[in-house]
Amino acid sequence: MLVAEHLKFAYPPSGPGLPQTEALRDVNFRLEIGEVLAVMGASGSGKSTLCHVLAGLAPRYTGGYVSGAAHAAGYDVLEAMPPAGVVGLLLQDAATQLFNPTVEDEVAWGLEALGTPPPRIGALVEEALARFGLLSMRTRSPWALSGGQQKRLALAAVWAMRPRVLLLDEPLGGLDPQGRTEVLAALETLHHSGVTLLLTTFHPQAAALAPATLVLSDGAATSPIPTAGVLQDETRLVEAGILYPPHLWPSLEAHATPAAVPAIAVQDVHFAYTDGHAALHGVSLEILQGQFVAIVGPNGAGKSTLLRHFNGLLRPMHGTVRVHGKDVAGRTTGNLARDVGFLFQRPEQQLFAATVHEEVAFGVRALHLANADTRVQQALARFGLTAFAQTPPSILSYGIQRAITLAALATLDTPILVLDEPAVGLDGREKARLLMWLAERRAAGVTLVIVTHEMELAAHADHVVALANGCVVADGSPDEVLG
Amino acid sequence: MSVALEFYVHRESWLHRLDPRVKLWGMVLGFITAFLLPYVAAQGALLLGLHLLLLANRIPWNALRRLWRQMALLIVLILVLQPFFAPSGTEIVTVGPLRLTVDGLTGAVLLATRAMVIAFIVGALLFTTDQRALVQAFVRLGLPYTWGLTFSLTLRFLPAIQQLFVTVREAQAARGWVAEGNLFRRFREYLPVLVAVIIGTLRMSDRLTLALAARGLATPTCATAPRTVWHDLHMRRSDWITFIGITLAFLAISFWRSVFSG
Repeated sequence: MLVAEHLKFAYPPSGPGLPQTEALRDVNFRLEIGEVLAVMGASGSGKSTLCHVLAGLAPRYTGGYVSGAAHAAGYDVLEAMPPAGVVGLLLQDAATQLFNPTVEDEVAWGLEALGTPPPRIGALVEEALARFGLLSMRTRSPWALSGGQQKRLALAAVWAMRPRVLLLDEPLGGLDPQGRTEVLAALETLHHSGVTLLLTTFHPQAAALAPATLVLSDGAATSPIPTAGVLQDETRLVEAGILYPPHLWPSLEAHATPAAVPAIAVQDVHFAYTDGHAALHGVSLEILQGQFVAIVGPNGAGKSTLLRHFNGLLRPMHGTVRVHGKDVAGRTTGNLARDVGFLFQRPEQQLFAATVHEEVAFGVRALHLANADTRVQQALARFGLTAFAQTPPSILSYGIQRAITLAALATLDTPILVLDEPAVGLDGREKARLLMWLAERRAAGVTLVIVTHEMELAAHADHVVALANGCVVADGSPDEVLG
Repeated sequence: MSVALEFYVHRESWLHRLDPRVKLWGMVLGFITAFLLPYVAAQGALLLGLHLLLLANRIPWNALRRLWRQMALLIVLILVLQPFFAPSGTEIVTVGPLRLTVDGLTGAVLLATRAMVIAFIVGALLFTTDQRALVQAFVRLGLPYTWGLTFSLTLRFLPAIQQLFVTVREAQAARGWVAEGNLFRRFREYLPVLVAVIIGTLRMSDRLTLALAARGLATPTCATAPRTVWHDLHMRRSDWITFIGITLAFLAISFWRSVFSG
């Protein structure tokens, strides 16, 4: 039903004189009808490429060179694109897969493309929405949904076409714990639906859905082996850059007691967006110099909104925010960048330079910092980016793009670091790099403010602030707040 | 995600239910009418009528205000620049080679109200027609499906492109970029942002190509069945009545215009 034999794939060179990028080297497996296979691998190991080749999209729409054999539902996908609806593909970034005005239209679109008679479409849409728990949001805009809901919708839209083979590329990728739980529940239902399923992931929970797993490492693949064995072999998963379990993390303890001087002081801050949505209602908190503060709370609690006040991206409608004792009201964001290093969510949307080197050097140049070249070279090396220095950031994987934004931040060497969900979507190797850098910054006495859904990370903080509905609902040690 | 460029307002109303082909026809006639009437009072009346029409069809004030805000820069430019391009008639004030006249000022006000009338005619279509119905209207008027889809996707991704611009600007500011210097210098500093937005938009379109191909846009189906439509458009009696009504109104205005203004 789904077969790969000696499958190899290489992307064309990204510039003149540069070599091809080998993405897959000799991948072999055979799945019969209704079987499920997990493909585990770190970021950039070739997981998405494998899905694109098996769906008939690569090299047809991506460019590149392919050899070997790949068949899906009896179709030679290297020879011709399989007919619509035979192979379903969930792309890694579900948001870009959604382009219809409402949830139900999104599901109906593929059925219309298949030429399904209109009276049948309604029933099939209903069934797909019910299966993935989306009935209550059928008239909402797909872009107004949370990450987990968007993934479920993309799944529902693909599943409604009743594909014989379903390829899921990182179904848990980029999701917070709540989103992961929602999507895992949806995958459970697929697992028992009889469809032939291949899913790529670096999350053990997703791999556990498949009896067999194939491990990809820099394009080279093992044969499918029992998943239970793979998941028990922690050393192998760590070496492949897939996992970085908390017991291996570096110490995030401060080397000195934080000074009793506030780095950031927030006093009775209120904020509402222009559409009238009030995001903060009288938030007050104090973050001491050298302290590590984790900000936790459900989606929509106002965490990112609060963070954006720390470097002047948002201005309070009422109340004050002081950084190192000075009111931010009179300072621009560009000016505050000397004091506050800021890491946004969704790195892929913030990269603007022509090369990785230019991207990392942007801040150092804008702030006219000394030893610019040395700072940039050190940051590139620290985040494993030296080999990509002349590559356009836009063509790199999510994890590497995240590393670029971290390297850009590291060059500025600011006394305060404000990080919005820094660990989301990172594989083991990337998470190790992030945590080692954070440990080093902590040792250097830097103030750390991190918004996170990962309770293991929040547990390492000196102080945890919990937000809900735009208000501080708990403020204390990790034991007091996280329980 | 910013929704500043997302137009459709989901409501139940007569205008929402009206067949989008009739709305498109009304839009074309509305454009011609706006150009046929060179009177500020007539344009003002049209603008007021459009506001009342939209409010009566449950489009909230916020949406109308947003459209005014989006048009504000254009309106200000017209009001400031246009008088000096038509410097005939009674003079009000002269500064160097520039003459501000009563005719020039009236012409600018006429052009500005006409621009707002056109914006609100387009608004009346986009506020009350979801993109799916709009695409289907184009298809039923003879356009290939992919053209209609392209139009719909352009509308759909405008907010994403706008958001991309904001995100890149914020990312640069957070890394120390400060807008300073004269207008020319600021414009030059914005160029990398524009380049980044263009690259980002191309990437978005690349991913969209994959998404569309993965869901069978470019491939034949097993049964080679033609594309079907879940909710197709049907002209109802009320649609025909509206179609005839706006056509007659347009003919009446054209007749009046040709008889009374020579």
